[in-house]
Amino acid sequence: MNIEVRLHGTLIAARPGLRAGDPFTVTIRDGASVASLAAELSLAPADIHLAIVNGRVVYDRDVPLATGDRVGLFPPVGGG
Amino acid sequence: MERILRVNMTSRTAAFEPMPEAYRNRAGRWLTSSIVHDEVPPTCHPLGPNNKVVFSPGIVTGTASPTSSRISVGGKSPLTGGIKESNAGTGWGRRLARLGIRAIVVEGQPKEKGFWLLKVNARGAELEPADAWTGKRLSEIYPALLTRFGGKEKVNVCAIGVAGEFRMAAAGICFNDQEGRPSRYAGRGGLGAVLGSKGLKAIVVDDSGAKEIPLADKAQFDQGRKKLGAALGAHAITKPKGALNSYGTAVLVNILNEAGGLPTHNFREGRFEGAAKIAGEAIFAGNKERTGAEVYNHACSPGCVIRCSNTWHRSNGSEHTSCIEYESDWAFGANCGIDDLDQIAELNLLCNDYGLDTIETGGTLAVAADGGLWRFGDGKRAIELLHEIGQGTPLGRILGNGAVVTGRAFGVTRVPHVKGQNMPAYEPRAVKGIGMTYAVSTMGADHTSGYTIAPEILGVSGKLDPLNPDKADLARNFQYATAFIDSTGHCLFIAFAILDIASGFEGTVEECNGVLGTKWTMDDVARIGKEVLDLERDFNRKAGFTALDDRLPEFMRTEPLPPHDTVWDIADREIDRVFAS
Ligand code: SF4
Repeated sequence: MNIEVRLHGTLIAARPGLRAGDPFTVTIRDGASVASLAAELSLAPADIHLAIVNGRVVYDRDVPLATGDRVGLFPPVGGG
Repeated sequence: MERILRVNMTSRTAAFEPMPEAYRNRAGRWLTSSIVHDEVPPTCHPLGPNNKVVFSPGIVTGTASPTSSRISVGGKSPLTGGIKESNAGTGWGRRLARLGIRAIVVEGQPKEKGFWLLKVNARGAELEPADAWTGKRLSEIYPALLTRFGGKEKVNVCAIGVAGEFRMAAAGICFNDQEGRPSRYAGRGGLGAVLGSKGLKAIVVDDSGAKEIPLADKAQFDQGRKKLGAALGAHAITKPKGALNSYGTAVLVNILNEAGGLPTHNFREGRFEGAAKIAGEAIFAGNKERTGAEVYNHACSPGCVIRCSNTWHRSNGSEHTSCIEYESDWAFGANCGIDDLDQIAELNLLCNDYGLDTIETGGTLAVAADGGLWRFGDGKRAIELLHEIGQGTPLGRILGNGAVVTGRAFGVTRVPHVKGQNMPAYEPRAVKGIGMTYAVSTMGADHTSGYTIAPEILGVSGKLDPLNPDKADLARNFQYATAFIDSTGHCLFIAFAILDIASGFEGTVEECNGVLGTKWTMDDVARIGKEVLDLERDFNRKAGFTALDDRLPEFMRTEPLPPHDTVWDIADREIDRVFAS
């Protein structure tokens, strides 16, 4: 299945040449979770603070994704 | 000795008074709101002689405590008609604290036209004519003022821009940062107009010869500041080269965009197509490309270890503006449909130069776009409109009075405000707890009253669903904790670390005990916060506010917000529950 991914903050280092927040497509096995998507992108689980899937903040990394999902991955961020 | 400096602009005299016993231990927001509550008639005209502007550094401001150089400014707001507390990070309050001055109270109004400047130093305080400093951009007069009074190592300047001179309700009060830039604002609520109405153009503070701040219990203070420092140094958001230091507050653009809570095109959508182009990461990357080096952020004020203030550089590498905060980036970016950082930077610079609150100004431009004055995304035209404000043209006078006045002038019904203050950069239909906070805040729509975004979006101090409506307790507790932090003199951004690391919060309380000789515990945090809120709510009640003012605008109840297609669906009784207990 295809997942529309956006990496943010320091995580963008995993995709040199891309700007944080620019979308790219990752093809991954059906039913893969946020955790396996991160592994596919060579991101250490500890570096990911939260995932936003289709606009919803997802804390459980094992929830299965569906094809066409929009996934944003974030390190810890803050501001005001 | 702790003193209050009272400046009477009717007689143009300045005199010191001993700190009243009733205000013992009060500083920062606790003191500014106390004095406004006790001395300002709630029904007075905000721009008349009976309003006052009160400045107070926090409890630990001026000491060796980290990230504690905030100055609180209070008065009755010409924007909301209620009480206002707005604070800024700057060395100005630190110098005031070191001079033993707990508060400056500016009152009265001159009968004759003109502007004055107040000099405060170890010898005393005096007023001098300031007409020569008026009518100019702040980037023009700050370097000259700093030089004239001894340089940025010795003095700090607080001043209003032309917006304050024109008594515009979007006018803020400006303080210089460590490089002397006129960039740190007590921006919200129009307190710049109140200072302008009193003919006070600037206050220059020189702390030469001041003694160290006395500590009631040095061991307790040192233990507290070390615990707080350790928490700030350890937390991923506040540590060196962490999120705030690398990307600044604008790092929030992408996450709010992903969560569908980034107000776009005057609160029409929750996502902005150009988000990635204006986000904090794009600022970092753009600076690197233009200067040839990684530019990490700097401290706006002495002693800040978080260092979140950014700069933006022109294509030739020279500095364009500082600081493009998340709020300013959003206000001129997503909310105005502008995806060009150079144009956003110029709008930010013009606000700093004319003396305007960026949130109210960006919100006003967005309302003006709905009113047909310009087209969303046309940054060139937005810049021209900002110059109209700076020049005080008739159109500029309307825009400079904020979103509600502009909406009325141009027949716009979509005006996202509470109590007359334009909403900041979080969409209530997508993040319910912040909507509750906007609704009940004593300040009008204000995210810094209680930053529920931390647990609702950022996964800090909790993991809550932003769309879950059960947020009344959250909204209350965050406002109490915030009112306490605003009284300590700490920047609210310490909250990211101390809400997650308990010893950091304990340290914050211990530091206060070390300065004051009190025996506060964690239980006193909510007690003090509640006391501050009760004073502010009492003022607003006497100014004529009722529960019906604690409401979000009608269009948010009827228009679904993409991408979640949710409306503001929190029952009024749920909102009234926030402060019912
Ligand atoms: S955290 Fe940022 S805004 Fe707060 S005092 Fe430090 S530099 Fe200033």
